[in-house]
Amino acid sequence: MLLSSEKKTADMRGAYGDALVELGKSDPRVVCVGGDTTDSLKTKKFGDKFPERMFNVGIAEANLVSIAAGLAIAGKVSFASTYAAFIPGRAVDQIRNTICYPALNVKLVVSHGGLTVGPDGASHQQIEDLSTTRAMPNMRVIVPSDAVAVRHLIKTIANTPGPFYMRLARPTTELVYSESTPAEQFTVGRGNVLVDGSDATIIACGLMVGKALEAAAALKREQGLAVRVVDMFTIKPIDTGLVAKCARETGAIATAEEHNIIGGLGSAVSEAAGETYPVPIKRVGVKDTFGESARDEEVDTLLEQYGLTATEIAKAVVEARSRAR
Amino acid sequence: MGLDLRYLELKRKIREVRMWAIQGIAEAGSGHPGASFSAAEIMGTLYFRRMRHDPKNPSWDERDYFINSKAHSAPGYYSTLAVAGYFPPEEIKTLRKLGSRLQGHPVRYSDHQKHHSVPGIEYSGGSEGIGLSVGVGIALASRLDGKKNRVYVMIGDGESNEGQIWEASMAAAKFKLDNLVAVLDRNRIQQDGFTEDIMPLDPTKNKWEAFNWQVFEVDGHRVEQLMDAFSRAALIKDKPVMIIANTVKGNGVRHMANSPQWHGKAPSKKHTPVLLEELESEFLIAPSIIAGEKENYEDKIKKAEREGVELIHLDVMDGRFVPNSTFLADTIKKLRPVTTLPFDAHLMIEKPIDHIDEYIDARCDIITVHAEACTEKEFAVIQERCLAAGISPGIAINPKTDVPKWLYPYLPDLDIVIVMSVNPGFAGQKFIPETLPKMVAVNKELREHGFKGYIEADGGIDATTLQPVYDAGARIFVAGSAVYGNSDIHSAVIHLRHKAAVTLEKRLLEHSTKLGIRADWMKARKNILIPYASELAIEEELNAIK
Repeated sequence: MLLSSEKKTADMRGAYGDALVELGKSDPRVVCVGGDTTDSLKTKKFGDKFPERMFNVGIAEANLVSIAAGLAIAGKVSFASTYAAFIPGRAVDQIRNTICYPALNVKLVVSHGGLTVGPDGASHQQIEDLSTTRAMPNMRVIVPSDAVAVRHLIKTIANTPGPFYMRLARPTTELVYSESTPAEQFTVGRGNVLVDGSDATIIACGLMVGKALEAAAALKREQGLAVRVVDMFTIKPIDTGLVAKCARETGAIATAEEHNIIGGLGSAVSEAAGETYPVPIKRVGVKDTFGESARDEEVDTLLEQYGLTATEIAKAVVEARSRAR
Repeated sequence: MGLDLRYLELKRKIREVRMWAIQGIAEAGSGHPGASFSAAEIMGTLYFRRMRHDPKNPSWDERDYFINSKAHSAPGYYSTLAVAGYFPPEEIKTLRKLGSRLQGHPVRYSDHQKHHSVPGIEYSGGSEGIGLSVGVGIALASRLDGKKNRVYVMIGDGESNEGQIWEASMAAAKFKLDNLVAVLDRNRIQQDGFTEDIMPLDPTKNKWEAFNWQVFEVDGHRVEQLMDAFSRAALIKDKPVMIIANTVKGNGVRHMANSPQWHGKAPSKKHTPVLLEELESEFLIAPSIIAGEKENYEDKIKKAEREGVELIHLDVMDGRFVPNSTFLADTIKKLRPVTTLPFDAHLMIEKPIDHIDEYIDARCDIITVHAEACTEKEFAVIQERCLAAGISPGIAINPKTDVPKWLYPYLPDLDIVIVMSVNPGFAGQKFIPETLPKMVAVNKELREHGFKGYIEADGGIDATTLQPVYDAGARIFVAGSAVYGNSDIHSAVIHLRHKAAVTLEKRLLEHSTKLGIRADWMKARKNILIPYASELAIEEELNAIK
């Protein structure tokens, strides 16, 4: 049973913190560097359990990721965590030159990706990170869709040598996967087909996967369309085989991401389809604009205003299908 | 100093580093000679002496780490690694070329970068201000693993403009990283000009102290001071150590020294042979403290130190090998704490084999015995003991003595040969001119049999005789009366250096003439030549150069 059968919510950051503690128990090489946000990132749990392996370097992200690089040079599996606004935002050069160029074993796991950051406003609403990190050679980019995926993927990236960027959401999100989903389901570079269908495909990542499922259900209910839904949690390396297969078998693609429409999942899917089996594609994302503050209870409205909803995804599917030849 | 310095071999290796670096840069047509040269002693002292590392096993688990944060010093860094044995030095001529392992800025060696790197490089640099943070990470990991190793990070003063340096500084102090040693190559020049004009760093020492580091300040071209600082750093607990190494950008090539325009400029390839000759001609002044007024050795050492001499020459006479007697090992032992300057001990004693341990114990840095006073067997033991103690071994020959043939097998590990230009035994003797052609011949003979060390001219060396012995191949000048016979030691040392400079400039000019690049060389060298123009009789020629 892949999909969660009941409506249940869970915190991605909490799942990260717990997974890190588990890793710490089984692998003494695992260390974590935080930047005055360890409580928020839930890495504090790791620090409480393994104080000698947790390094809080204060509000200094360039230093944070570079220290993580040093730890990796000396053989550690190095987790570096703070908000997405600051990693990669404040440390792009260090991530590029110091981590990606030598392909160091550093795992950048950040939260507060996208608009759902809410009240902090556009300064903290990171919508360029996937684009930035995706363009760096040797980097792999992961956006899990729920806490179950986080639990498995943290383990996977810890055990896969080399740099990773993983982006988590701030809010508690609905579970997409059932708790019993096996670990093999989360393979880096392989998308998961959550719902099959032949009329079109929605390829989504992060918390937009839940909305993609809603959109597919609505299209089935209202228009009788069988729409395939893919959780493309690996943005890089993109699962080109799966994208090509979906293009060939369903003829139209909509993408959905909580990120600027430029450079993220939509771009990656367009590139993959364009070079294998070109079909009409419609991207759903932030339309190259900055976000704004919204209280937590207003976040759904904020997403509506910026077009990040199931309704918008459904519209995108219809539009892409209309252009299919 | 006596810190396993093997001073002369270290100096020679660093000289080789500079020579390879300049060849690499000239071949590439770009690169950074300035930083390669300011940092040469820092890197050389670490790689050839201080650090625990193994070129045959670069990923040795217990190794000390070196992080070169000011990665534009790459030509010097690569050359240091090559001379240390990580890869063949000839490869430096591929620097910055397509397909070379030697990228413009060093790349961490790993399986996926083995075509763009060489084993031993731990860190990919090039973007400034990052290496200290990386060093903090390595030091944290090393401590976590209970290792006894040390992490050395070299940073630049230009890159100290980067805020991240100070982020790392705070973190290192917070984590009490006493296994971390940073060395600041304080050459005072960055790309656009002098650091204090572009972005003032001073008071540098106070800043680092305020950031809770233990700070030592040294002359970054004095290997003995660097070694001393590294030793002191090892004793510091619960604090990271910053060694401020005051250096001269471009040090080694006079027209590049202290000149912002040589931060990142390659010399013309045609100049390379002349530049190599200049680098090879580095000389050391070694005042002999038995000269001048009687005894008062401590005072004489301190005075010479103030004048920036390189060595203290100790004429040990036992009253038997030579008729006179001066002092023995016990006096040297008492004088040792007076200075960090290397002690160049010249043992004019009978049976040096019977006393060698006393001089090793007195922490001399160079010990030279007389060929006339030992057998091959005895010398073999003397050389072995010196090498084991990190002391430069040497042999001295009197004016009438030839290089003994039995010495040949020992030449590759011999660091110094003193060619006496007087009969030993007294200060203030007159230079014997016949020893000049002998020095030329001896130099040639020694080189042919694997000698890589220094020729020292000893006896009657003054401002007049310095010139011919320098041209004859001597690179260490023992100056006794020429220094201490003067009431004004300051002017005496300046005068000797001036004479050496004129001699060198003349030789380099002649070399450039032979190569057909005289005018071009004079143009590059103009500012240096101006003060010597009349002595070199090139005033008109120099004026004609725009």
